[in-house]
Amino acid sequence: MSAMELCDLSAYELAALIRKREISAVEALESTLERIELVDGRPGSLDAGEITAEDHAKVHAFITRTEETARAQAQAVDKSISEGVIPGPLAGVPYTVKDIFNVRGTRSTAGSRILSNYTAPYTATAVERMEKAGAVMLGKVNLDEFTHGSSSESSAYQPAPRNPWDTSKVPGGSSGGSTAAVAAGMGALSLGTDTGGSIRQPAAFCGVVGLKPTYGRVSRYGLIAFGSSLDCPGPVARNVRDAAMMLSVIAGPDRRDSTAVTIPVPDYTAEIEAGVKGMRIGLSPDFFKIQYFNHESGQMEEEPISDEIKQAVEQAADRLSEMGARVVENVPMPRTKYGIPTYFVISRVEVASNLHRFDGVKYGYRTPVPAEDLDELYRRTRAEGFGAQPKLRILMGMYVSAAQYSEQYYQRALRVRSLIRGDFERIYDPQGEYRLDALLTPATPTPAFGYGDVYGDTVLMQYADQFTVTGNHAGVPGLSLMGGLSKERLPLGIQLLGRDYDEATLLRIGRAFEVATEDAAWRKVRPQVLEGLS
Amino acid sequence: MTEYEAIIGLETHIQLNTETKIFCACKADSWGDPANSNICPVCSGLPGVLPVLNRAVVEKAVLLAKAMHAEVQSDSYFDRKNYFYPDLPKGYQITQNDHPIALGGYMDLPLPDGGTRKVGITKLHMEEDAGKTKHEHGRRLVDFNRCGVPLIEMVTAPDLRSADEVAAYLIRLRQLLRWLDISEADMEKGHLRADANVSIRLKGETGLNEKTEIKNVNSIESLRTAVEKEIARQIREVEAGNAIEAWTLDWDEDTQSLSKMRSKETMADYRYFKEPDLLVVRLDEAWESAILADFPELPLARRERFVREYGLPEYDADILTSERSLSDYFESVNQAYGGDPKRVSNWLMNDVLRLLNEQGLEAKDLKVTPGYLAEIIKLVDANTINTPTGKALLEKVQQTGQPPKEIVEAEGLAQVSDTGLIREIAARIVAENPDSVEKFRGGKEGLMGWFVGQVMRESKGKADPNLAREVLEELLKG
Repeated sequence: MSAMELCDLSAYELAALIRKREISAVEALESTLERIELVDGRPGSLDAGEITAEDHAKVHAFITRTEETARAQAQAVDKSISEGVIPGPLAGVPYTVKDIFNVRGTRSTAGSRILSNYTAPYTATAVERMEKAGAVMLGKVNLDEFTHGSSSESSAYQPAPRNPWDTSKVPGGSSGGSTAAVAAGMGALSLGTDTGGSIRQPAAFCGVVGLKPTYGRVSRYGLIAFGSSLDCPGPVARNVRDAAMMLSVIAGPDRRDSTAVTIPVPDYTAEIEAGVKGMRIGLSPDFFKIQYFNHESGQMEEEPISDEIKQAVEQAADRLSEMGARVVENVPMPRTKYGIPTYFVISRVEVASNLHRFDGVKYGYRTPVPAEDLDELYRRTRAEGFGAQPKLRILMGMYVSAAQYSEQYYQRALRVRSLIRGDFERIYDPQGEYRLDALLTPATPTPAFGYGDVYGDTVLMQYADQFTVTGNHAGVPGLSLMGGLSKERLPLGIQLLGRDYDEATLLRIGRAFEVATEDAAWRKVRPQVLEGLS
Repeated sequence: MTEYEAIIGLETHIQLNTETKIFCACKADSWGDPANSNICPVCSGLPGVLPVLNRAVVEKAVLLAKAMHAEVQSDSYFDRKNYFYPDLPKGYQITQNDHPIALGGYMDLPLPDGGTRKVGITKLHMEEDAGKTKHEHGRRLVDFNRCGVPLIEMVTAPDLRSADEVAAYLIRLRQLLRWLDISEADMEKGHLRADANVSIRLKGETGLNEKTEIKNVNSIESLRTAVEKEIARQIREVEAGNAIEAWTLDWDEDTQSLSKMRSKETMADYRYFKEPDLLVVRLDEAWESAILADFPELPLARRERFVREYGLPEYDADILTSERSLSDYFESVNQAYGGDPKRVSNWLMNDVLRLLNEQGLEAKDLKVTPGYLAEIIKLVDANTINTPTGKALLEKVQQTGQPPKEIVEAEGLAQVSDTGLIREIAARIVAENPDSVEKFRGGKEGLMGWFVGQVMRESKGKADPNLAREVLEELLKG
């Protein structure tokens, strides 16, 4: 095992050391930049050329690095602290931003060629709040194009991110750059987004903590939209406390986002150590199998999930039970199986509309071929600028929202979505049969899959989100955290789903689980890319 | 000769006169501003932006809905209307489709024959405007200033029957919009836009025939002309045995003619769906009653009341209620005056309106307050000043803002009602003009006016003309 560097410390520890002037923000930053140099390899680019063996051994979390502004920010933090002013709770903590957020003056690509030359003129609310809290942005990290995927392979910027635990595996996605960066010590925190599982699934694959807050808890202003009714910005962190600190910073109402709720934001760290005694935590059989529609047989079929993940969840339930939680088994969540098909319709309708604006007229990529007329300009620009995923999603979205199909698909999907919501309302109902505080589930059906193994099969890829997507439909919060290691030394992810705006309870349970597993052998294992570093 | 009737419906777009745009804080009115000077990331559709609804838009929509007798909905939603065009930076327009702010409604349109045409409203909803594009030097330019300017789209049923009714409807609508302070309603500036759907049928028929749509007309008069021409064209075509095709027609203001823009083929599919970036527009009772708390008496009701309550002729009542502040002004003057309302009406219709037109003012902006005008009329009534002096005084009060009485005193405008002084002047004039006296006495009685005029001139306009006439008659005939 290699020595711990400053860049391996948690955000909480770093902020405390910097505040006490035991280390400087610049030192924390330099340590992190050094780590990036060591493990990240070349950043993603449009003209990557051949992907070499050396590339295969690196993480490639970044698209754009912002060392210079990061140094200036870190120096400003140190100066401020030397003058006795603490800039904010995350002062000096290095972090990364998924390249789906606008950050003024930086390239904001969404992982797409169509925004390859786009420099944002304004900053997303969540990023602005991180800046105000004193966090130091290292750069923009890679993702599936427009967040459309669960492996980060579909980015137009190659080499795509790789899993720090095993670089032959994907980091998950779409926030794969975020989770890979955090796992490899390239920033203690990252700002991701979750539309169907895009924070929780890659967090599970990379063995970090990912929190999808309640829809509306964190402003979407400045987040380049995928599924507007599903998108949630949220924290990626190395532990639960860091995620809680970050959520406290980024959550809250925003006059620029009318769907950002005005409910007051608690200090999510305040009750984090309070334990789980008396809490009711559910297990649902509907989360221990993959249910999917087989279009050859025309039937819903079932497949088991990974045994190792199943065991990780069961063991987590045991740990929590030992700490005083009441584990409620056989909680029915019958609409879980409709999560993916429903998502296929709703997210596609929204994204087809959201991607309309990329037309080559105002900003971003425009075809270099002189166009005969406007339609040709649109067609060429979009044909050349979008990759396969956005194109597929636009086509499907156009189809299911067309006047003659809308009732059959889109309107119906909306009704199914409220049924899915109903599943959650039933289990959390304080007067109901289950009265749960949270539902404990696997975060993913399998650990990280191999690079290139699933890519290309859009439907199969989507099933990586089966256990996370219903949380997006229902709007409820979900916390994904590491629950063990597979025999192949890949992280096994568990998930806690909670009540609306009750992230505090999830964080408390998550923290209790961390405490309970503090001495577990798998906690001592570090990602492969960090081995042998000194 | 076969008799036809025209069947016309209007699709209007009303630009609201809010300070800011519907979904961002940019200034709404860009009239005369350079291109792209009132834009921000939100209204120019940059990646990642979100709309936030301007409450003033809802409030104005509710006022209009109420005035159109429409049913205001407690919950309404915005939808996305998806299509590609360079003036639409998001690639969709945020509008209201199946759950608009109001349902139903009508306007009672008074007709010249004394009857009323009930014009139904089939659509009334809020939406954002798109920008503008133009061709210049072989390039296509876009201006996003107008993007996000709040509009109300209001569509009538096919209830209008002539070009004159179209004009009358728009004049009434314009009056109403200004009355409610919802819109400047200036068609020339595009604050009020109207497209007309026109078809004809044989009188007595009940079905609807194929219609054409007239677009791009920017004055009420031009729309009247365009509709007239289109009705005539359709009659000619039908008489010639030709079918009417569903064309969209473009109005050319310079040549005063319509030309075919495009055939209406299949209906575009806008793939409407609920705008997920905006919440339901919930109009609770408290908000609705706050909006409607100061809901004014509407022009047609006020017109009717002016006839009933003040005994004014319809004509006067119509003009006095053409504009809200003028009608308020009338009532205030009338109250301060306390005499014959018709006398107040005459002053307003002749002198005050001329003043307003000349100076481009609204009645509420006059320095001649209602109290001052009442005072001027009373001074004339009391013969303190004569009528021409009264009119001159009105102008002076408007120039200086001083109370009329002060001006009368300071400038010595009070009318001379002193018989002695008038007799002295009259006697002098009679003595100095023996020829005219001769002619008058010889039967040219029309010269009396000239004699009175001379007295007025000598007295610098201050003589009471009636008194002068009396004295002169006495001197000349006696």
